[in-house]
Amino acid sequence: MKKFAVILGLMIWGGLLIYIADDFPGWGDPQAPASVNLSPYYIEQSIPDTDVPNVVTSILADYRGFDTMFETAVIFTAGLACLFLLRSYSTKEPDVYLYRHTATGVILRIEKGGTIPVGSADFERIDATWVPHDLIIKTTCRLILPFVFIFALYVIAHGHHSPGGGFQGGVILGAATIIFAISYNLRTATRNITERFAAFFSAAGVLLYASTGVLCMFFGGNFLDYGALAPLFGTTIAGARSLGILIVEIGVGMSVMAVMSSIYYNISSNGRLNEGL
Amino acid sequence: MSSHFPAIIIIAPLIAGFLISLSSLANRRFCFPIAVAGLGIAFYSSIGLIVSVFEKGVIQYRLGGWAPPMGIEYRIDYLNAFVLIMVSGVAFVNIFAVKKTAERDLPEKLGPFYSLYVLFTAGLLGITATGDAFNLYVLLEIAALTGYALIGIGSGQNSGRAAHSALNYIFMGTIGASFYLLGIGYLYIATGTLNMADLARVLPSLFGSNVIMAAFAICMTGLFMKMALFPMHGWLPNAYAYSSPAAASLIAPLTTKVMIYVMIRICLFVFTPAFSFEFINIKGAMVIVASVAIVAGSLFALSQKSLTKMLTYIIVAEVGYMVGGFWLGNKEGMTGSILHIANDAVMTLCLFLAAGIFAYKIKPRGEILIKDLGSMFSRMPVTMGAFVVAGLSIIGVPPACGFFSKWYLILGGIKAGQYWFCAALIFSSLVNVILFFRIFESAFFGSTCSNHEHGSAHETGHHNDHEAVIDEAPASMLVPLLVSTAMLIVLGFGTKFIVTQIIEKAISGMI
Repeated sequence: MKKFAVILGLMIWGGLLIYIADDFPGWGDPQAPASVNLSPYYIEQSIPDTDVPNVVTSILADYRGFDTMFETAVIFTAGLACLFLLRSYSTKEPDVYLYRHTATGVILRIEKGGTIPVGSADFERIDATWVPHDLIIKTTCRLILPFVFIFALYVIAHGHHSPGGGFQGGVILGAATIIFAISYNLRTATRNITERFAAFFSAAGVLLYASTGVLCMFFGGNFLDYGALAPLFGTTIAGARSLGILIVEIGVGMSVMAVMSSIYYNISSNGRLNEGL
Repeated sequence: MSSHFPAIIIIAPLIAGFLISLSSLANRRFCFPIAVAGLGIAFYSSIGLIVSVFEKGVIQYRLGGWAPPMGIEYRIDYLNAFVLIMVSGVAFVNIFAVKKTAERDLPEKLGPFYSLYVLFTAGLLGITATGDAFNLYVLLEIAALTGYALIGIGSGQNSGRAAHSALNYIFMGTIGASFYLLGIGYLYIATGTLNMADLARVLPSLFGSNVIMAAFAICMTGLFMKMALFPMHGWLPNAYAYSSPAAASLIAPLTTKVMIYVMIRICLFVFTPAFSFEFINIKGAMVIVASVAIVAGSLFALSQKSLTKMLTYIIVAEVGYMVGGFWLGNKEGMTGSILHIANDAVMTLCLFLAAGIFAYKIKPRGEILIKDLGSMFSRMPVTMGAFVVAGLSIIGVPPACGFFSKWYLILGGIKAGQYWFCAALIFSSLVNVILFFRIFESAFFGSTCSNHEHGSAHETGHHNDHEAVIDEAPASMLVPLLVSTAMLIVLGFGTKFIVTQIIEKAISGMI
């Protein structure tokens, strides 16, 4: 009965939405309000105003750069919330340690009280939930990761001209970290990109964005008015806007990358950061 | 400097949030001073803003230097300058009070806690200051996300239930926010602009369109969910009652009030009163919904055994006050509604601070029940005294501020001929009398037995039960409580000034 009422309610709701859609302007209609009101201004003025051919980037990071700063802050907050809720600082020792003898692949199971081969080059610690030793995956990831990083930097830097920018590039960087953590293990990943590193960059990236805006205020502009930075960069106003966009995109990229890693670390290991997929 | 106040008020707490996160990597002791500095600057700017509004009228601030329909604009008028002071003041006063609780409950997570605290404040301040409908949504996300985290952490025995109620809140809150976003999307399809002033200019020619009607309905539904208007209040009581007292005293006074401000802003300054009050005829229906919310909230409050649960249901009833007052659609009702935003925020702050102190002193690890407050007057006279003042204000006893906003609401109800609303207000006041005098009675005359059974195991039995032993909370918790109590009286005496100098100017030309 309840199910029936829910389905009926949803159908009425959906029907109403379809009925309303009848009043929408036609699909792709050049005379639709959304097409005639602001879009022509952005399309015509993007290059004279900001030197950025990619209109999406100039709207995102300049005309509506304030929104984007808060979107970055939302991502930072998401990472912080995961850390806040999940991170557990209790140092509970696991009951069982598993060590793999690297030369032979033999796995040692060490229970409480056993001798742990810490520092031995012949053994490597593996997760207690057993993960197969996979040479192909590890080698492939090791080979592709540098290219992934380069591509991510390209996407961040090339947001002015092609689809891309800080969010996309940052996600690629973050995904590279996650691939690394999956193909090796969490401990190796946290040794290379530590929790402190992630925490530092997630705040530093978005701080870079906000402090660029504050810098504009010191140069006599409004908050995030990159044009005011023209004397600092020694460029035209449009050129300063273009550089300002690049700086904040880099900040976004840093934050997104660090937050992705931090969220992955916390969720995959229940906040312990000791072992997990 | 002063021309940048509209931006500084938001970015000071925002940047403080990032700096807290960075400094917590070095030393946790820096977190609290940075948070205080960020909130202090925001509070100072909010005062500067209202002074400039008095001098110059509406302040417009172009973010990024772009003219309004192209870029984002902050627009400070009497209405939001008033709400900005309320939000930044509550957040600033409260941070001193929560320090002890936070240090005890979350010793290792102080950095993230303070960071989320100031980001939450930044989000709410931004929602209040913005003149752009989409920017409002982005800031809504910040405020909501930080709120979920602060509630979800819980404390002591309640952390499991806190996580569960935070999950519930996430579902409801996300649906509410998505509805708001969908409504804004519809508005953009129909008008091609996101700036509130620009929307108000374009919309009157489109009143007949179904799209506008749907946009209004969807926006309002989303906001009603966010502000926990009965019957969409389900997420609120558990979320606020089981969260850590450190988070509850920040979130409970502010979230619902700011959402009511958003409703007023959207109805009056985006859709314009011509649409909200005349073109679509939902005034009467909304007042009835609000009256039901008042009665239901009061009855639920009456049935609670836990102190914080009771307070959360009072919030549900108070939301009904403000929504009903607004939809009366006349000057008195709207004045009462806006006045009550500030009054209720301070009353709720005061009650939750007192509840936080009780939790800190007598039951650090669990829910405080009403019966735990037995003979609390002899044990914690200052805290209980403040609680009494706040309770009297909620009931509506002059000169506490609660009386005046209720007075305006009832006047508005009579003028609009909505006698059911007036009856609901009076009913709710009577229920509040029962609610609070039940507590006052046991606090004055009750025995301490229940305390010793339930709480304070650390207190050894040096003194017998009938002996009055003063055991007050630390000064860092008492001073903010006393400040908020004093504000209750100050707001009460300042009602005339607030109404004639701020609220009448805020809604002039609208009604």
